[in-house]
Amino acid sequence: MSTQTLLEVRDLSKRFASRESRDAALWVIKDLSFSVPDGEFLTIIGPSGSGKTTLLNMIAQIDTATGGEVRFKSEPPAPISDPKLLNPGLSCRIGYVTQEDNLLPWRTTLQNVLFPLTVQGRLNDETRARAQTLIRTVGLAGFENHYPHELSGGMRKRASLIRTLVYDPPVILMDEPFGALDAQTRAVLQEDLLRLWELGRKTIVFVTHDIAEAIALGDRTLVLSRAPAKVIGEHRISIPRPRDIRGIMSHPDFSALYQRIRAQVQ
Amino acid sequence: MTTQDTALDLAESAHLRWRQYAVLGGRIGLAILFFIVWKIGAERAGPIYVADPVLVFQRIVTDTMSGELVRHVYVTLRLSIIGFAIGCFFGVVLPFVLRRMPRVTAAIEPYIMASVGVPKYALVPLFILWFGIDDAPKLWLIGLLVFYPVFIAVFAGIRNVDRRLVNMARVVGASESRISREVIWNSLLSFFFASLKIALPRAVSAAIIGEFLVGNEGLGYMIEYARQNFDTVGVFAGIVVATVIVLIINAALVRIDRHINAWRPVERDMQL
Amino acid sequence: MSSLGQSQASDRPTALSGRLLARARAHSDQILVLILLFAIWQALSFWLTVYWVGSPWGVVTRLYDGVVNGAILMHAGFTMSEAIIGFIIGAIPAVALPFLLRRLPIATAILDPFMVGGYGAPKLALAPLFILWFGIGIESKIALVAITVFFIVYFSALAGVRALDSKLVQMAQVAGANERDVARHIVFPGAVPYIFTGFRIAMPYSIGGAVVAEIISANRGLGYLIQLSAMNFDTTGVFVALVAVTIIVFVMNGVVDFAERRLLHWRPASDAKMQSSQ
Repeated sequence: MSTQTLLEVRDLSKRFASRESRDAALWVIKDLSFSVPDGEFLTIIGPSGSGKTTLLNMIAQIDTATGGEVRFKSEPPAPISDPKLLNPGLSCRIGYVTQEDNLLPWRTTLQNVLFPLTVQGRLNDETRARAQTLIRTVGLAGFENHYPHELSGGMRKRASLIRTLVYDPPVILMDEPFGALDAQTRAVLQEDLLRLWELGRKTIVFVTHDIAEAIALGDRTLVLSRAPAKVIGEHRISIPRPRDIRGIMSHPDFSALYQRIRAQVQ
Repeated sequence: MTTQDTALDLAESAHLRWRQYAVLGGRIGLAILFFIVWKIGAERAGPIYVADPVLVFQRIVTDTMSGELVRHVYVTLRLSIIGFAIGCFFGVVLPFVLRRMPRVTAAIEPYIMASVGVPKYALVPLFILWFGIDDAPKLWLIGLLVFYPVFIAVFAGIRNVDRRLVNMARVVGASESRISREVIWNSLLSFFFASLKIALPRAVSAAIIGEFLVGNEGLGYMIEYARQNFDTVGVFAGIVVATVIVLIINAALVRIDRHINAWRPVERDMQL
Repeated sequence: MSSLGQSQASDRPTALSGRLLARARAHSDQILVLILLFAIWQALSFWLTVYWVGSPWGVVTRLYDGVVNGAILMHAGFTMSEAIIGFIIGAIPAVALPFLLRRLPIATAILDPFMVGGYGAPKLALAPLFILWFGIGIESKIALVAITVFFIVYFSALAGVRALDSKLVQMAQVAGANERDVARHIVFPGAVPYIFTGFRIAMPYSIGGAVVAEIISANRGLGYLIQLSAMNFDTTGVFVALVAVTIIVFVMNGVVDFAERRLLHWRPASDAKMQSSQ
């Protein structure tokens, strides 16, 4: 794992203006800072609410920030306070797996997975084969020509996951991607995700409210406070890879880690 | 922090106000443009094809003052309202009657739906043949055009009544007619008013177009008579008046609809 | 009440067989009603004479003859072409406008009262004006149909463009889509169901408008046939033309339904029900 910083967030802040009341508007995020080295799987834990999604939206440059900066590699900071200058996905270098699957209802599974390649003009035999491999890896083989409404929630999640992986962005943001699934499916997808990650060692920023999930998946975990959110804890996950998702809780280091993190989560 | 807050708030509300002025300005501009184009069209295309807007408005004024226009408008509106009442009556009563005869309903439903596909205006010559050249064929036309949307709306409204409300009413001891009156009627009220918003303007349009085809009175007759005499000013004047009347009715209905829906939630709470 | 009682019956364990039985009975009832209607009509034609009611058998034979010798087909062809051409001329700008103005919400806001006014105004009242301008040929009918269809489809298309799911747009942008990609892959496919609803609503107005204009003044077409037959006290002829008009309405509805089903097979059933009720 190289130590080059791929993504850096410095003093990021977000305030939502309130239209009705004259009271002070809500600072959702204030002076939040962290950095992510290349190839790290970073998990972020925070209380349920819109703070985490807002954070990822700002990094992905879907929303503006009220203050602070986001830097990719050693490039100058992205202009994130001006809505007109936003560059969603930072020119396809930041991928984003959102909470809702956001599959296009009028495209089949295969067409949905190929969608980023289509709009990026990178559709060719090689990328098509890559898409097929990913479809097979997550167990969606045979469902290529199904429409989203014909798939189960778990299957749609998988499709949206590999839709981001298929174009191989250096940084991938994930917003509680497995939150809406049942425990069994969630475990399977977590294993799939780690298996895929092992193949490419992408840089991942994974947001969740589930402490166990954060420990099971991440190299490092950050804990966020309630609004106004900032980083109040950082924990290195000492459990070696490859990880056993289903048996993670019986690992000797798990318990202590869990307690330490639990104490910080508000 | 507070100065930053108020600065952002001020910027937002100023932006909103600017936008409202821009939209209003744009609308006024567009209206003015419309009249300019009309005026130019009148000068370019000649008096037979496009009537001069000034002349049109003058004609409207003189016809109003002479009472001529008022008489024709009154005739048309009277026709519309009578036809509307007839169509509304059957449109509301029939679904309730059919509710108690499910077998008959199932038997005739496809034919009712099929009859929707017949353009009612196409029946006017037949009505004239059957009912003569007075108001009768026009009333049939208006009645039918009003009947269909109201009937379909009330019918669907009855069908879509929340069965849980009906069951609740039964459990607390309401009689069938009480259920009809209160639960079912209130549930379909929104469907019914939505259909009225369609049906009333339709009634007026139908009266006017019926008057194109038969009769010697009313706004439609005025327009068609003017056309046959190549009195383009008269044609334009009639169309302007007809359009304005229908638009006023539409606007009034929207206002009433809003007013009615305002108290409905409160009324619902009192029901439960 | 009885209809509610019927629903209670379907809640019992024998629901499926009970429902099938009810459906079969309803179908046989419907056929019974059809035969009954024909019988009553035929009886009336004897009793009240053909002058008043025409005769069902006469309608069938005249319709057959008219098709065979082409007369009905010619008139039907005129009416249909007025409806279809007018529909196309009206629908294309109606669909294009919301897309073109998508990035300029101020433009749609400015236009709104004019569009609402145009939608609410009685377009058929313009028939005499169009006849004055374009004569009694098909042009005046096409113009009337076009303007009627335009306002209807505009609002449906506008709703379709506005129903845009911003989350899908954001997803596409993160994946690298530019403005054109978004319009082509997200906005347009999402709006198609709404546009089709507009088509379905506008379709009967296109045929009805053509027929009305023909009744007012024309020398060809099914509306003209209706008016001509009525003036000649040829009630059977009126019914023949009416049946032809109704058949056309059904055919065109079928075409729109077919096109809709082909283009929208990706849509889950619940969405379809929701949108068709709009």
